[in-house]
Amino acid sequence: MTKDKKYSIKSTGKETLEKWFRLMTVGRLLDDRAPNYLKQAIGWSYHAPYAGHDGIQLAIGQLFNRETDHLFPYYRDMLTAISSGLSPEEVIYNGISKDIDVAGGGRHMSNHFAKPEWNIHNVSSSTGNHTLHAVGVARAMKKYKTPGIAISSQGESSVSEGYVYEAINGASNEKLPVLFVFQDNGYGISVPKKDQTARRKVADNFTGFKNLRIIHCNGKDVFDSMNTLEEARRHIEENEEPVIVQANCVRIHSHSNSDAHDLYRDDFELNYVKDYDPLAKYRRLLIRYKRFSDEELIAIEEEMKQEVKKAHKAGMAAPDPSPDSIHDFVIPEPYIPEKYTDGTHNQKGDAKKFIVGLNETLKAEFRHNPDTYIWGQDVAYKEKGGIFNVTKGMQQEFGIERVFNAPIAEDFIMGTANGMSRFNDKIRIVIEGAEFADYFWPAMEAFVETTHEYWRTKGQFSPNITIRLASGGYIGGGLYHSQSIEGSITTFPGVRVVYPSFADDAAGLMRTCMRSRGLNFYMEPKALYNSPKAATPIPDDFEVPFGKARIRREGEDLTIVTYGNTTHMCLEAAGKISEEDGATVEVLDLRSLIPLDMDAVLTSVKKTGKILVVHEDKVFSGFGGEIAAQITDQAFEYLDGPVKRVGSTFTPVGFNRILEGAILPNTEKILTAARDLLEY
Amino acid sequence: MKKIGIVYSFNTNKTSKIAKRIADAVEGTAKVEMINVEEITAEQFQKFDNLICGTATWFDGELPNHWDEFVPDIEDMDLKGKNIAIFGLGDQKGYPENFLDGMGILAEILEAQGARIVGFTSNEGYNYESSRAEKGDQFCGLGIDYESQGSKNKERVNAWVKKLKMEFK
Repeated sequence: MTKDKKYSIKSTGKETLEKWFRLMTVGRLLDDRAPNYLKQAIGWSYHAPYAGHDGIQLAIGQLFNRETDHLFPYYRDMLTAISSGLSPEEVIYNGISKDIDVAGGGRHMSNHFAKPEWNIHNVSSSTGNHTLHAVGVARAMKKYKTPGIAISSQGESSVSEGYVYEAINGASNEKLPVLFVFQDNGYGISVPKKDQTARRKVADNFTGFKNLRIIHCNGKDVFDSMNTLEEARRHIEENEEPVIVQANCVRIHSHSNSDAHDLYRDDFELNYVKDYDPLAKYRRLLIRYKRFSDEELIAIEEEMKQEVKKAHKAGMAAPDPSPDSIHDFVIPEPYIPEKYTDGTHNQKGDAKKFIVGLNETLKAEFRHNPDTYIWGQDVAYKEKGGIFNVTKGMQQEFGIERVFNAPIAEDFIMGTANGMSRFNDKIRIVIEGAEFADYFWPAMEAFVETTHEYWRTKGQFSPNITIRLASGGYIGGGLYHSQSIEGSITTFPGVRVVYPSFADDAAGLMRTCMRSRGLNFYMEPKALYNSPKAATPIPDDFEVPFGKARIRREGEDLTIVTYGNTTHMCLEAAGKISEEDGATVEVLDLRSLIPLDMDAVLTSVKKTGKILVVHEDKVFSGFGGEIAAQITDQAFEYLDGPVKRVGSTFTPVGFNRILEGAILPNTEKILTAARDLLEY
Repeated sequence: MKKIGIVYSFNTNKTSKIAKRIADAVEGTAKVEMINVEEITAEQFQKFDNLICGTATWFDGELPNHWDEFVPDIEDMDLKGKNIAIFGLGDQKGYPENFLDGMGILAEILEAQGARIVGFTSNEGYNYESSRAEKGDQFCGLGIDYESQGSKNKERVNAWVKKLKMEFK
C-alpha cells in the first residue's frame, strides 16, 4: 500500500530505515523493561505499554518539528516521545519520577512524557482533554501566522469524551491547523470499542463536519503511518483545515500494569494481536527486501540494549525530588502594583458604576497590551457586548481577532484558553467562562486541569488566564442564575480567586489580573453591575494587589469579614448598629479569597474580639468555614465570642422572590447575627 | 487450461482449508501449485498466468501481514495478461462494516498492476453493512464466512470453481 508514496521498504534510504529501527528497538526495550521498575519497587507504578502502536507512534515523532509544531502526546505515547527526540535517560527519569524529569521533576504521573522546552506538552491524565489545548494553541498559531501544526494524540476510546467533540467542532469551525490522531487498539482499558460508539472506526462519526478531512491508516505499519501523516500535514497546510487520522493498532499487552487482560481476552485474540507485532513486521521487511541483514540488525539491537542499560544506570543515580519543594510553583508571582501598593486611593470626582469600571479597564488593558484576547458566549456581536454588556464596544475597537464569541461549550472556552496561552508567555487571555457562574460547571474539568499546569510542569508553563464570571443572586434568577461558586473554586491550589464589591476594586483587580502571570478566577457580583451603591470614583491607572483586604468601615466592637454582594449589606447593618445600638462595627472587604489576607482579618479580630463572617454562598461548606477555622486556630485567645457565620441556607436558590429572600443573606439576617454576637 | 497457482498463507487454518477445497475442485481441469505467500518471491508469483489468491480480513478491514509484506513486490510487477481470482474470508456478523475488505484491497492492488480480476460473484445471500470487495451487486471474488455461513462453503466453492474454469485461459 505504499505505491507512489514517499516512504516504502524499497525506496526509503538505508540511513532512515536504520534510524527508525533504532528508535523502535530502543522504545520497545524501554516499554518491555518498564514493569520491572514496579516489580522492584523502584517506581513507574503507571505504565501503559505502547507495543502494537509502533508504526503510528514512530510516525508522529518523525512528523513533529519542534521548531514549529506543538505536540500533545497521551500516556501511551512512549515511542512518540522517543521518536520526537526524548532520550532513553529522559524516558527513565520520567518513569521513575526523578527530579530531573524534563516533564516536571517527577510531579506528574509516570508515563506522561513531555518536554515543554520543545513544545512537547505536559498533558493531563484526564484522557483526551488535551485536544482542547491543541485547538487553543493552533488558534494562536493561526492568529500569529506562524508555520506548523498542533498534533494531538489519543486512544480511540477517549473520543467518547464530550470535550473531544467540542475540540474537533472548534477546529473545524475556526479552520485550525490541528492533526488529531486516534490510536485505535480496540479497548478502553477492558471496555471493547463496541461499547463506546456504534461505528467501529470512531473517526467516521465526524464525517458530517465541514472543513475536516478524515484519513485512516494502519498504525501498525511504519510506512503506511509515515505516508499518512505526511499527507495529513500537507492537507492541513494546503487547505488550512484540521485532519483526523485514525490509526488501527493492536494492544499487545494489558492496558497498564494495574490491568490483567487475560480476564477479558482469550488466547486466540492474544495470539492474533501478537502476530501483528509491528516491530517484528518491520524487522521482517528489512530482511525480506534485503535492506539489512539479520546480523546487522542483531548488532543494532545489541547496541540499543547497551544504551538502555546506560540510561538505567543514569536513572538510578539521578536525585529524587525534595519534599521541601512541594510549595514551589503552585502559582507564579503576580504583578505587584507600585503606585497603589495597598489597593486604595484618594480619587475624588464622579462615581463610576461597577460595570463601567470593568469595561474601561478591560479596554485600557487591551490598549496597553496587544497580546490580549477575550472570548466567551455572547461577548461580541454587533452592538452586544456580553450578556450584561461588560465587553460592550470591545470588538469594535480591537477587532474580531482579539474579541470574539465562543460556542456554547464552557469546557471548550476554558480548555482552549489553556491551549492558546501555551503559545507564548506574553499572551494574556480573559474569558467569560460561561454566561453565568452557574453554567461554569461543564468547564470544571478544564479548569481543574489548568490549576495544575504550573505546579505539574515545575514552572515550565504558566496559563495566563483570567476567568470572568457573572456571579451571585438577588436578581430573581432562580437556581441557575444565582449561584455563588467560590466555595468549590477555592478548594483548588493553583488559582487566584477575587470577588470585588465596589467599582474601584473591580477595576483595580482586573488590571492586576491582566498583568499577572498565572490563573485568576474573577467573580463579578452581577447584582452590583449597575448599582449606585457599588459606584465609586476610579483612578485611570488603579491597581489592587492580590491578597489585600480593604477596611470599608472602621469599628471597635465587632468585625465583619465579607466580600461581593454582601459587603453592602454588612455596611448597611454596621451603620444601623452604630445609629441604633451605639456600637461600632468594622467591615473588612476581603476582595481576594486566594490569596487570603489573614493578616488583615487577624489584626481586626485582635482589635474587636468578635467576628462575623458573611458571604452570599451557603454557610455549609462555604468559604467562611475556612476563615472561621483559621481564626480559631490563630486567634482563639483574642475571641470574646464564637465565630459566627451568615450566608445562604443549604438549599438551591428558589426562583420565587419569597423563596429567594428566605434563602439568600440580607441586611436583617446580618443585623440579627451581629447583635447576637455583640451580646457576648 | 494453464497451470494455476494458489497463493495463501500456509499458517492459516480456515484459509488453508478453503484453498485445499478449491484445489480439489480444480483437479482434473488444470494442474495446480500451492504456494505459501509468506515465502513467495516475485518470480514465483509471476510465472503463472492464472492465479487464485486467498486472504482473510484482519482487524477493521486490513490485509493480513503475510499479504501486506508481499505488496511492495507486487507494486513493482507488470501483471498485464494475468487472470487472478481471489477468495476472501470474512465475518459478516462480527465485522459487518468491513466484510471481505481484505479481498477488496488485494483486488485493488493487483488490478492497479494490470491484472484482470476474475471470478466475481453475486453478493446475494450475504448480510453486511459495507465491503471494499463490493462492486455493484457483486463481490470481486468468492466470499467465505465460516462464522455464520460455514454450511454454504462447499456449494459456494464448487460454483465458483465452475465459473473460474470458464474465465481462466
